[in-house]
Amino acid sequence: MLLQIIASGLLLGGIYALLSVGLNLIFGVIKIVNLAHGDFLMMGMYATFFLFTLKDVNPYVSVLIVFPAFVLIGVVVFRVIIKPLLGKAETEVNTIIATAGVGFVLQNLALMLWKSDFRAIETNLTGKSYEFFGVLLSAGRTWTFVICIIVALLLYYILMKTKVGTHIRAVSQDTDAATLMGINVNRIYTLTFAAGIALVGIAGSIITPTFYVYPTVGLYFNTMAFIIVVLGGLGSFTGALIGGLLIGLVESFAGVMASAELAQVFSLLIFLIILFVKPEGIMGKGARV
Amino acid sequence: MKQKQSLIVLGILGVALLALYFLPLIVFAKHILILTLFYAFLGTGWNLMCGYAGRLSLGHAAFVAVGAYTSILLFKEFSLTPWLGMLVGGVLAVVVMLLIAWPSFRFGLKGPYFTLASIAVAEIVHNLLVYGRDITGGSLGLSLPYVPTSLAQFQFDGKGEYYLVILVFWLAAMFLTIKMERTRYYLEAIREDEDAASALGISVNRNLIISACISAFLVAIGGTFYAQYFRYIDPYSIAGFSLSLNMALVVVIGGSGTIFGPTIGAFLLIPMTELLRMSLGAQLPGLHLFLYGILLVACVIYLPKGIASLPGIIKAKREKKALQIQQTSEGVQ
Amino acid sequence: MAETILVIDGISKSFGGLQATDNVSFDVNKGEILGIIGPNGAGKSTLFNLITGFYPIDSGSITYHGKRIDKLTPDKICHKGITRTFQVAKPFPGLTIADNILVACLPKAAKVSEARDQVDAILKIVKLDKKANSLGADLTTLERKRLELGKALATNPEVLLLDEVMTGLKPKEMDEMMDLIRELKKTKTIVIVEHVMRVIMNISDRIIVLDHGQKIAEGLPKEIAENEVVIKAYLGRGSNKDA
Repeated sequence: MLLQIIASGLLLGGIYALLSVGLNLIFGVIKIVNLAHGDFLMMGMYATFFLFTLKDVNPYVSVLIVFPAFVLIGVVVFRVIIKPLLGKAETEVNTIIATAGVGFVLQNLALMLWKSDFRAIETNLTGKSYEFFGVLLSAGRTWTFVICIIVALLLYYILMKTKVGTHIRAVSQDTDAATLMGINVNRIYTLTFAAGIALVGIAGSIITPTFYVYPTVGLYFNTMAFIIVVLGGLGSFTGALIGGLLIGLVESFAGVMASAELAQVFSLLIFLIILFVKPEGIMGKGARV
Repeated sequence: MKQKQSLIVLGILGVALLALYFLPLIVFAKHILILTLFYAFLGTGWNLMCGYAGRLSLGHAAFVAVGAYTSILLFKEFSLTPWLGMLVGGVLAVVVMLLIAWPSFRFGLKGPYFTLASIAVAEIVHNLLVYGRDITGGSLGLSLPYVPTSLAQFQFDGKGEYYLVILVFWLAAMFLTIKMERTRYYLEAIREDEDAASALGISVNRNLIISACISAFLVAIGGTFYAQYFRYIDPYSIAGFSLSLNMALVVVIGGSGTIFGPTIGAFLLIPMTELLRMSLGAQLPGLHLFLYGILLVACVIYLPKGIASLPGIIKAKREKKALQIQQTSEGVQ
Repeated sequence: MAETILVIDGISKSFGGLQATDNVSFDVNKGEILGIIGPNGAGKSTLFNLITGFYPIDSGSITYHGKRIDKLTPDKICHKGITRTFQVAKPFPGLTIADNILVACLPKAAKVSEARDQVDAILKIVKLDKKANSLGADLTTLERKRLELGKALATNPEVLLLDEVMTGLKPKEMDEMMDLIRELKKTKTIVIVEHVMRVIMNISDRIIVLDHGQKIAEGLPKEIAENEVVIKAYLGRGSNKDA
């Protein structure tokens, strides 16, 4: 039984981790709070839903379509909305409000176009489970987990071993120094934002087989994503991963021992305590503004 | 703006708004006015802490909820008049605020971290309200038992009286804001540079906590008003992110950290939202919010400091020009 | 008659492995100008931070008019009568210059209107009266330093701690600033940290020399100028004695 809870928790955690990694990039590099993060996830889910129901595209394959599309969307959103706000008066507040506005727009766009009905897709994996040492793993979630790991590894490689990745890490640590080194900070910002959006978009694709799709589904994930990013440590890639897995475990345990709402309260309380005591999170550095 | 000037403007506005009471307006117009003043009131309370001190709280709905649920429950269980229930709710909100504010400020929580913490707090309150369904009615919320027009029980059949009540609340909040001139300056200094403020003799923690508590008290009172006016509350409407965001928006758009900013913002955003909802909401649910969101983003990009900042900007530009003219005429360029 | 008002007794402060201040002791006498010099990294700014409560001291004591102040917060110390300027000026960027000064006058004014009355006079002293409505963010470096001084003066301190107010000034401006400081000496006690030797030697009544967090010399300007330990500390770093 314990193993079952842990396994479910880890699978859930993998999803959370992927979700947060994109947010971590945006929050950690550009230093803005993207309140629309969950809503881009929602959009990714709808895209995948329609690709599946209208064009028979396997959700896991639709990642290949969603990713570039969302990169483009990310670039546009950054150029039109975020960039004009950076470095001006009240940047922090205004970017939060602006992203909240974007979230509003996305949610209501979905509401207008597709109504508030809950949608779900049925793939050949729906309802199936794998058995693994006596533990039942939902097929859909298992594949989601696997893809999350793959994406995470890819991302890790890019961040650590490529020139672009190093530039990104440099900008996240010290924009002035990065500029002095000849790094085009603006370009990195655009790239990072687009990457963050694209990542959460494909996260949406991957989880569509196992979650209901509706206009406000992003809200819940948004909260979780922020908790994880802060818990794991702002700017720390591994932190976001570990944080995701941890929260997945916490939710799994709490869901068994108490009700769903208390599970959330528990996660939120942990979140607050981390913010008070160690905002750098488990792995991060330099978070107290 | 000097105190006297502000008080005069407030007086004029007060009289003008009072005059509206006597006009034969349609019910919907009265509703919009009430809602507008309601948000102006909430925004003014929010502004005291967040606008002047520069910390963006997106979780203030938590305190609105504390006020609303406290007064409704006290009325339902103990027949306590909502006016007293309102005060109890206000005190409770202050207690909750102290629980959060004290560690927040002590640990120096700022910027996006403060915002995230505030969102978390509101979420906790929201979840607890849903979880405690035996007392709070959970997701189904609570209804206010109907009482025909009674001042003592804070319920009225018509809208006029509610308008007067919220007008008085708003006037009181505005008056308080104007009178707290010294604290406003201290908070601004703290917002601009805490260390410099401290070095000049301003106690950072004390001022932040005082403003936080007053802010919580005021919005909790707003919560009771909401409960008495709408006669129904549930966790999503009263402890939800939308309410927190709207409170903040009204202030940010109107001009954060200014006396009249929240009111300006409310008079701009609320009637527009309601009219949009009326005309478009039926055809295409969500369209009015969609447009609202776009407008929001545009506002924030083109008027980063809100509308109330315009006079200051104009003044500074004029002064700069005067200096330039003087310098060129003196041949020093 | 030298009346000692501020006593620094054996204070030490370390940050992690770095001993920033090491058993430093000295007195400050009423009405004097005490200069503090030392090579870069000697711990001069740290000293100000310790005296005004921005960092807690590890050991020792700081006594002002007979009462211990080393456990007080900066705002309380300001109320007691000690105000410091910051090496890198800290204007309130979003407030107007006039409001910057107003805020500084407020804590010690009984009424806001009283504070407002004081603003103009201070603006004139630091020559910022023509820019009263500009924002703190729109000042030149020199104007920032003037504003910094203005804010410090607005708190009406008994002891004024000046942290490198001369940096970045042209020689003529330095002379003006020195005149201003001499003028202030009539009503205040001043402790001034400086790199510019000509300034320190000219206006200080006494000088203290710090190096590596320790006090290595104390005395009259003439004595310090000829002190071998001091010369070695500076020459050993290859730093320039004259500005």
